[in-house]
Amino acid sequence: MRRARPARLAALLLGLSLCGALAHAEPYLAVANGYKCSQCHINPTGGGERTPFGEIFAQTALPARHLDTGSDVWTGALNRFISIGGDLRYQFEAQQQPQTKTTNQFDLEQARVYLAASVIPDRLLVYVDEQVAPGGALNREAWGMFWSADHTWYIKGGQMYLPFGLRLQDVTAFVNQVSGIDMTTPDQGLEVGWEKGHWDAQLAVSNGTASGSTTSNGKQESVQVQYVETRWRLGLAANLNGSSAQGSRDAFGLFGGFKTGPIAWLAEADIVTDHSLPPGPGGGQKQLATLLEANYSPARGHNLKVTYEYLDPDRELANDQQTRWSFVYELTPIQFVQLRFGARLNDGIPQLASEHVRLYFAELHGFF
Amino acid sequence: MSVSSLPRWGAALAPLLLAGCAGNGQGLNANGEPITPGSSPAAPLTADFQSIQDNVFTPICTRCHSGAAAPEGLQLDAGHSYALLVGVGSAEVPSLERVKAGDPDSSYLILKLEGASGIVGVRMPFGGPYLPQSTIDVIRQWITNGAQQGASAAASAVAFALTATSPADGALVPQSPRQFVVAFNREPDFSLLNDTTVMLERATPEGPVAQRVSLELARGNPAAVLLTPLAPLLPGAYRLRVRGTGAAALADVDGRELGSDYAAEFTVNGAP
Repeated sequence: MRRARPARLAALLLGLSLCGALAHAEPYLAVANGYKCSQCHINPTGGGERTPFGEIFAQTALPARHLDTGSDVWTGALNRFISIGGDLRYQFEAQQQPQTKTTNQFDLEQARVYLAASVIPDRLLVYVDEQVAPGGALNREAWGMFWSADHTWYIKGGQMYLPFGLRLQDVTAFVNQVSGIDMTTPDQGLEVGWEKGHWDAQLAVSNGTASGSTTSNGKQESVQVQYVETRWRLGLAANLNGSSAQGSRDAFGLFGGFKTGPIAWLAEADIVTDHSLPPGPGGGQKQLATLLEANYSPARGHNLKVTYEYLDPDRELANDQQTRWSFVYELTPIQFVQLRFGARLNDGIPQLASEHVRLYFAELHGFF
Repeated sequence: MSVSSLPRWGAALAPLLLAGCAGNGQGLNANGEPITPGSSPAAPLTADFQSIQDNVFTPICTRCHSGAAAPEGLQLDAGHSYALLVGVGSAEVPSLERVKAGDPDSSYLILKLEGASGIVGVRMPFGGPYLPQSTIDVIRQWITNGAQQGASAAASAVAFALTATSPADGALVPQSPRQFVVAFNREPDFSLLNDTTVMLERATPEGPVAQRVSLELARGNPAAVLLTPLAPLLPGAYRLRVRGTGAAALADVDGRELGSDYAAEFTVNGAP
């Protein structure tokens, strides 16, 4: 991680304060601002610890009001080599399911801490992402990454999130469920990445067991290519998992984003063929999931997110599709604090009450 | 079409390409599975295994816990779930059985469904919606009642057969497994379980070398045989064999022989 010098920080603060309508966290932020993931995250494919730019962005462009801290600006850097970060999500949620008593509960969704050691500045980075709650500590990522001198190529080895489509914060999204790749299913392997101009690409080879014990010599290959313009982007992803002797699991995704006026759109469509499952109707061999999300930011610190999702859990079976609408309002009153209020409305076949769940939540998200 | 107009085209086309409606469920039974001639609708949830399989495991859990990518190797489809649940140690917390017959509070399945403290990983079903407590209570009741597989399975007229092994055939195991599971569709005759009917062998240039194991039936799940190596297995290739033919064939408690021999090969990769 690069050291954030005072002059650079001042420039960043000034630049960001002039940007005005910059929006908030996650992939839609990248779309709204024409950034690549690596602009705000030390992981080139996004998620986890933020870069100094990301930290400053989160303090100046994201909140409705910036509490003045004078010259004390948090960048995550403890010294020239070590930086830290974290995320905490705590929520109250109520769940309605037909013919079932409504339940509600407080729930510590996750508390995560990040530690990065830039042992050779700008070239060699060692990184750990640890979930410390709820339950026992759980390692999400632990890798080392070596950049080429011109920062065009890198190689990363260890336990890591795999490159496949939009790296959404909502891990329950249908596209995450179908692909099986999200920020709760890191895998152990190697990743080679390339970033140049509007393009970036990654190739990863991993065990294919989501960090679990290997069960065969088969491996999982993930490939992703993305083209990023200021107002739109388009990407292709493929994931071929041959880790099981029972059959391979192949996923292909088309994803992207674009900006129309004040709205930042995200879109993804994934199709999965699982040869390890019995073929034919009910076997769930071919699945399709899509996502379309609109993010409207009427003013700094406010974002309204409307998401539509579609899932066909078995392409060879008719009348079994599911949909989900999500309406989420995100308020970032001051730096490092975000409040989220939302509803997720599931719809599916009349026979299954579990496909008609309505989830309402209020979430406190702290990050640094 | 110019490049600058792409966002507008995207906004117009994306809803058309990505949208669809929820299914009306026609032709599907109460579990969302296709209705086939002779099939009957699933009954409401009751505290017996078949009902829990039909109402919980099949429609909800098998979205992830099935096939090649089943987390922790736990397949919860109808063909595997009972054998891999009852009396079998949890992969995440080996000191706890996934389902301990008669003791729901010590059953890891219940701890994961309730999101209890001490679990490794997250509460199930992954990402929610979580099961209503009334549903979990029915599963608790089934475990309290002894976690039986049910009369239908016991009285089944199908042939005695081996249904699953863990590790599976062809598996690459990082280190010596603490325990192996050989699951049948019915309870084997325990008196026939010995080193001539169930064998674990290490492949060497001089030929197969028998490994000493202890054999026991999983508590509350007598259709599952647990093999525990008496010494950690060295790195190398192994074969697990079950003799189902000949004079020393394994048979079930009703005397029905397995009918065919079975072999699963796996490799232990690391040092014990």
